[in-house]
Amino acid sequence: MRINPNFTPNLLDDLWQEESRAQNDMQELATGRRVNVPSDDPSAATADVQNQALQGQNDQYLQNTTNLEGMLQTADSTLSSVVTALNQAISLGVQGGNGGLSAAQQQAIAQQVEGIQSQVVQLANVSYQGSYIFGGTATQSPPFALDPTQSSGVSYSGNTGVNTVEISQGETMQVNLPGSQVFQGAGGNVMGCLQQLVTALQSGNADGIAAATTQVTNALSYLSQQRIFFGSAVSQLTDNQSFLQKEQVSLQTQDNALVGADLAQAATDLAQAQTAQTAALEAIAQALPQSLLNYLK
Amino acid sequence: MGSLSGLLWIAAETLGADQGALDATANNIANQNTPGYSREIPVLSEADPTVAGNVTYGNGVTLQQIQSVRDQVLQIQIAEQNQQQGSAQAQYNSLQQVQSLFSDPTQGIGADFTAFFNSLSQLSTDPANMADRQAVLTAAQSLVSDFHSTEQNLDSIQSGLNQSVGQDVTQVNSLTQQIAKLNVQVGEMQKLGQDPGTLADQETELIQQLSQLTNVNQIQTENGLTLTTGNGTPLVVGGQSFALQTTSGSGGMTDISFEGQDITSSLKGGQLGGNLQIRDTVIPGVLGQLDNLASQFAAGFNAAHASGYDLNGNAGQAFFSDAAGAGAAGKLSVAISDPSLIAASSDGSAGSNGNVANLLAVQSQALPSGETPIDTYAGFVSSTGNLTSQAKAEVTASTASLNQLNNQLGSISGVNLDEETTNLLNYQRAYEAAARVVTTVDALTQSVLDMGSGVTSAP
Repeated sequence: MRINPNFTPNLLDDLWQEESRAQNDMQELATGRRVNVPSDDPSAATADVQNQALQGQNDQYLQNTTNLEGMLQTADSTLSSVVTALNQAISLGVQGGNGGLSAAQQQAIAQQVEGIQSQVVQLANVSYQGSYIFGGTATQSPPFALDPTQSSGVSYSGNTGVNTVEISQGETMQVNLPGSQVFQGAGGNVMGCLQQLVTALQSGNADGIAAATTQVTNALSYLSQQRIFFGSAVSQLTDNQSFLQKEQVSLQTQDNALVGADLAQAATDLAQAQTAQTAALEAIAQALPQSLLNYLK
Repeated sequence: MGSLSGLLWIAAETLGADQGALDATANNIANQNTPGYSREIPVLSEADPTVAGNVTYGNGVTLQQIQSVRDQVLQIQIAEQNQQQGSAQAQYNSLQQVQSLFSDPTQGIGADFTAFFNSLSQLSTDPANMADRQAVLTAAQSLVSDFHSTEQNLDSIQSGLNQSVGQDVTQVNSLTQQIAKLNVQVGEMQKLGQDPGTLADQETELIQQLSQLTNVNQIQTENGLTLTTGNGTPLVVGGQSFALQTTSGSGGMTDISFEGQDITSSLKGGQLGGNLQIRDTVIPGVLGQLDNLASQFAAGFNAAHASGYDLNGNAGQAFFSDAAGAGAAGKLSVAISDPSLIAASSDGSAGSNGNVANLLAVQSQALPSGETPIDTYAGFVSSTGNLTSQAKAEVTASTASLNQLNNQLGSISGVNLDEETTNLLNYQRAYEAAARVVTTVDALTQSVLDMGSGVTSAP
């Protein structure tokens, strides 16, 4: 049977195929990716785009969590200082309500409570990275100011707005409490009761002082309740953080399964391709010189 | 009755036939690496015998012709494969460039979308923060510039293809001209019953080259071949070739016409068909989707932006400049440059992030086209990836099948040096033997002449 005498194109074609396979394996080993261009595996490459988007979002949620944690912790520790201040005010109230104090002494105590009052206003005007935490969503100016014309002794220029932030896919959380709710709530008016105590001490009315001190105590317990919001928000963020980290690992695992190279497999394939390449080269080297002319002298 | 002169005549004929055979062998050896060459074989036959009484005398050998060994059916199949392979290869080459625009999941439009929405998400934790606001604008800017560069890259791939189309048409015209010249000669020889030999080889080779460029129909007629394009536009009829014309069409793209009629869309197959397919169908498709994505995304985002308030308490202005229609992806731009104009607030207060949720919703809501922005982008990856891998598979398959057909043709028409060397020796020996017959006849004739002169030649 007659065969195609010009077999070099076939041999070269085989050789090129082996070389291209070896190059492919080398690329897999070098990049660690099985899918280097979409045509390597279109559906995996498509899923990879979505996976990368989710990973990017997840990173951002983690970033959000860190940012919010700072702010919420600042709010929480500020309220802790307010609690301390209120406790001081209560003991001053008890002290001022004791009979046998001169008017001058009561005035001195009243001054101390006024100091506490301005300290609390200062605390309520705490800012985090330039934004006033207790101004509702009016965060660009201090929300509280001492104002003798007000019955509570302070004026509130913030609003009652609240912000929510997405902290993981589809999950949002409220991240602030407006100052009007924290310091001037219906259940306990921190600012108002301090002003009440100052007024009672100044007038020296023992019943009034006692009543005002009770009001401060009530306001303290109300404030502590409000503080729980921040404490639980921080712990929610901590939980969220570990959830996001697990999610990140799981997304990376998925991605690796989608487009990652099986390195052991790629290394084996490369070795095989190189062997085949050598074999093809040897075949060419042996086949080409074969000719009848070699035997005719 | 045999005669000395008859013997001499037989020997002379033999010498001629063997010379012809040697000639064919030498030509085969000379052309063993010539593309398209079909090996030649001498067609030898016995001469008619002379009958005298009971004796039939053979009259030697006749060299009837030197014939090229070819298989026209195989050659037509090869032409068919050539046009498939040419088309697949051309498409694969350009698709590789197209898919590279969508191949890195950590860069480009897809990654930009994620980065842009992440910057907004970051802003939601501190809506009045100027650094975060600036980051949103920066991310929007990179999204826009990747839209621009993707569009520009697609445009430049397209105009590169447009140049190739022009070159392909020039090549087609030059090939049909050469084929027409050969076609006359081949046709005339065939009419006379002669073997067109190497002329036919050259013509076949040119037709194969033409098939790599475009789909060609071959019709055998009395006056040689008629070649037409796939839809019947004549390219070569007998000795006449018809040139395809190029005209500048819409969008600066070259149109191909025949006698004033636009036949661009009917040209399929071959490198020309493959280039046209990518230039006129695939790239405009991707560009159209890219424009849609840009304009629908910009419109959706602007609507969400308008529902909020900026840092100064004013209603949100357009965030992206209005871009619609063809070229939208190239025209898209960020309309605001002042970070305080980002409408994050839902109530006009600076610290509100209420509208960021609306802006972020654009990320997960379906555009009018039916998919979210990132899924639309993923669709580009999917479609270009699939097209490229199909083209690659087609290149592999058509190359394998072309190799197979070429092997088959080679086994029929290829020059085998061992065979030719063997033939060379055979014909050499035959020639030597025939020459010996001549010397023998010469000696015999001498004897006969000597008989007449009365001198007996030495035994």
